[in-house]
Amino acid sequence: MSASSEHFDVAAYALGVLDDDDVEAFERHLDGCAQCQSELLESHDVPGMLDAVKADSVSPERTRP
Amino acid sequence: MRQDSYGDPDRDDHLIRELYQEFGGPLLRQVRKTTGNDLQWAEDVVQETLVRAWRNSAKLTWEPGLLWAWLLTVARRIVIDGRRRRGVRPREVEAPEEDTIAVPDGSDRTLAAIVVADALRGLSAQHREVIEETYLRDRTVSEAAEILGIPPGTVKSRLFYALRALRSALKERGVAS
Repeated sequence: MSASSEHFDVAAYALGVLDDDDVEAFERHLDGCAQCQSELLESHDVPGMLDAVKADSVSPERTRP
Repeated sequence: MRQDSYGDPDRDDHLIRELYQEFGGPLLRQVRKTTGNDLQWAEDVVQETLVRAWRNSAKLTWEPGLLWAWLLTVARRIVIDGRRRRGVRPREVEAPEEDTIAVPDGSDRTLAAIVVADALRGLSAQHREVIEETYLRDRTVSEAAEILGIPPGTVKSRLFYALRALRSALKERGVAS
């Protein structure tokens, strides 16, 4: 499956790193785009797995001086 | 789930309670993976997520899998925002090696970290870089674009293919659905 530019946002969206300004527009797109919906469904657990290597799983409070 | 609940405080309360019942527990488990041992913070994130869900009640008509995926993206943005607001940055994550990955807090987590780090190492340098400069460092697309000196659109397309490659690498290692 190839993807044109309007569908690329789904990856950044799934990771929660899409800029706020783009989120609303993408959600409108997502609402009617089966391709992005299926991409999101397939990707939604990847960030959770990446958290395993994200070495910051301490609370902000705990890291304060 | 119903979405006809605006305007009536009792029904609003009811909808929020319903959201908590259905998603509160699973969301909290997911969010705690990013907030570590800070249960209070995780609970705040879940609450904020469900309040946003209530405000966006049109989303509640989405099919359950998609609704769940949406809730996770909302929670993720709240965690990332919170961390940035409090000035906490994740420790730098260079091309992860076994001895530099996250401090283990249990054997399952350690194993997951090793498998995921291994999958990341198997990606192309460009793909790994774009995942590191965004998600792993709590940066948005536009911030990562500035740091990498490439257009935001390029960050998005690289992320798209990077995520697919990572998904398939994880699948090969038997850790992704």
